[in-house]
Amino acid sequence: MTQPTLDDQAFKTELAGLIPHLRAFARSLCGNATAADDLAQEAMLKAWKARESYQSGTNLKAWTFTILRNLFYSEKRRSWRRQQLDPEVAEATLVSNDDPSSALDLLALRTGLTVLPEDQREALILVGAGGLSYEETAEICGCAVGTIKSRVSRARKALAEIIENSSGGYAGDGKLRASEAFDDIMKQADELSSGSSADV
Amino acid sequence: MDHQSRGADDDRGRKLRQKRIGDQLRRLYDEVTEEAVPEEFLNLLEQADNSSKKQK
Repeated sequence: MTQPTLDDQAFKTELAGLIPHLRAFARSLCGNATAADDLAQEAMLKAWKARESYQSGTNLKAWTFTILRNLFYSEKRRSWRRQQLDPEVAEATLVSNDDPSSALDLLALRTGLTVLPEDQREALILVGAGGLSYEETAEICGCAVGTIKSRVSRARKALAEIIENSSGGYAGDGKLRASEAFDDIMKQADELSSGSSADV
Repeated sequence: MDHQSRGADDDRGRKLRQKRIGDQLRRLYDEVTEEAVPEEFLNLLEQADNSSKKQK
């Protein structure tokens, strides 16, 4: 027995409601806001075209994330492929935050995310921030639930290491220059990633 | 005993650090979901809807 499909109007409303999440997931994959919006728009349009294959009652967010992710990985030559953290984003992270130690942690997290292997990063974002279950994330990534659990746990461990190493020396020093902090965190992240296979 | 309590401290420290990472991950994600959706998205969706209505 198949579930009835949503009518176009209902589908459109639900899809529009998911745009913020498509943008956030795309941003985590691309790192660059313009490229991310480009990817999110294409994913939205693809989801719209494929609406008849969506089974109502299943999780539309997970379904659209699967589309976005497939698009991202299938078009490797497109501009939205992730680049290193933009130093301007790094600078902005530091200056927009009143609490210097929290700003450094946030910067270390952003930087740490860029050096995680892609599979670990996406698992961590989906489970840790996107509000998806391990099961839904496994479906989106096309792998076993146990694999997702181990990716998330390795990602958490690696990030904790990066953040610990980068913020330890700065406690109480609010005058640290943003560029120095950025260089230092990049160095920590490089050291960490050179020990593992970052290029998966 | 001494050994055990140190283990428990390590554990608590690890949990606190992981909680902080979790909070900040959500903060990064929510920074984007809380932005206003660019009009372009909704315009594109409307256009796609209109052109599929014409085809029917």
